[in-house]
Amino acid sequence: MSRFMLRSLALALLIASAPVSAAFAHCFVGGRFFPAMLATDDPCVADEMSLPTVQYNSANPSGREHDAGIDFAKRITDNFGIVVSSTWTRVGPPADDGTNGPLAYGFQNLVTTAQFQLLKDAQHELALLAGVIFNWGGSGAAGVGAAPWSTITPTVYFGKGFGDLPDGAGFLRAFAVTGQVGYEIPTTSLDLVSGSPVPQNLLWGTSLQFSMPYLKSSVVDLGLPDFINHLIPIVEAQFTAPVANNFGNDFVITGTVNPGVIWVGSYFQVGVEAVIPINRSSGTSIGAVAQLHLYLDDIFPTSIGQPLFGSSTPTKSMVMR
Amino acid sequence: MRNIIVTSMLALLPFGATDARAHAFLDHAEPRVGSTVQTAPRELSLSFTQDLEPAFSGAEVRDANGTRVDQGKAKISGSSIHLGLKPLSPGTYRVQWHALSVDTHTTEGSFSFQVGH
Repeated sequence: MSRFMLRSLALALLIASAPVSAAFAHCFVGGRFFPAMLATDDPCVADEMSLPTVQYNSANPSGREHDAGIDFAKRITDNFGIVVSSTWTRVGPPADDGTNGPLAYGFQNLVTTAQFQLLKDAQHELALLAGVIFNWGGSGAAGVGAAPWSTITPTVYFGKGFGDLPDGAGFLRAFAVTGQVGYEIPTTSLDLVSGSPVPQNLLWGTSLQFSMPYLKSSVVDLGLPDFINHLIPIVEAQFTAPVANNFGNDFVITGTVNPGVIWVGSYFQVGVEAVIPINRSSGTSIGAVAQLHLYLDDIFPTSIGQPLFGSSTPTKSMVMR
Repeated sequence: MRNIIVTSMLALLPFGATDARAHAFLDHAEPRVGSTVQTAPRELSLSFTQDLEPAFSGAEVRDANGTRVDQGKAKISGSSIHLGLKPLSPGTYRVQWHALSVDTHTTEGSFSFQVGH
């Protein structure tokens, strides 16, 4: 057995032997559950894995792009976690090109994210999260657009459910919004190949979601079929704007709006969204993204579903009465 | 890095996967969530999607003034909570519950029901 395998096995055993504790794990805030999303991030540290996320992306104007990605999120402590993301990309010729075969394929740059849970306010269904996203330049294939430089993106995330509205608000109480804002800082200011500046970007995204599980358990049980009661219709949007070091380039905001639906189960969720570019710089046709997302804290409740160090914090309501 | 992650995940598969359980969601309540009942119920029943740890699960019912109208300690068996109620007059009542599933996942929630309107 190689040293690499021994290291991996040791890591696995360490994770597996972590203590059992009261766990809140994936994104519950009071009675509200924020699902993992496909284009933006939920506002919680968690033990989760997306395997896979597949996307047909029209954002690449030079060809048809297909992506297959994996995200692995692990809590180190109750409030601190990391996310590792990797995406394999295949770029084919444009639909009207008339040729066959891929133009290029390979991995995008590896992305790692460190996240810290700032707040979970159960009464107001409010969650705040701070994170730093590291995109490791040169770790991916240049042929699929992976940059040779790295980027660092400090990001804040929030989630707010409207369950704290008065009962008279009715169905509105099942809505929730999430959002994130980040500032992307590249490790170089000049692309030596093209000779053009590498801009600093403002990245932001948001989602509006209507939770059928919340409607049934906290607002009104309409006696709908079980499948319907597991659905969360959602609209996500994500945008990028160059805000500094953009000399000589056009100022163009790019982004997509993604309407879709997420089915939430006890151990996993499945999401499907359309990817609608907001302008021609963002894409030339509508794409699609689908994701199978596993709740590791529910699948492995006594091992990998626990933080590596320390225990989860019981809520006030867990105190014996 | 990618190889380390994948190998670690595969190595973990034998651990814990067979005893998989999940968060306890409220599956059904009687009186129903958000309902109006003409006859005052004598008991609140809550059914969850997972078995509960009785010592760390419970519920309470309060009237519009915030006064508790339940009879105290709930009976918890398997995935259900049963809570006796005092005689209820017409009005709106709020149920607050918390649950610890047997694999130590916590959940909580609340809902209202009305009597006699």
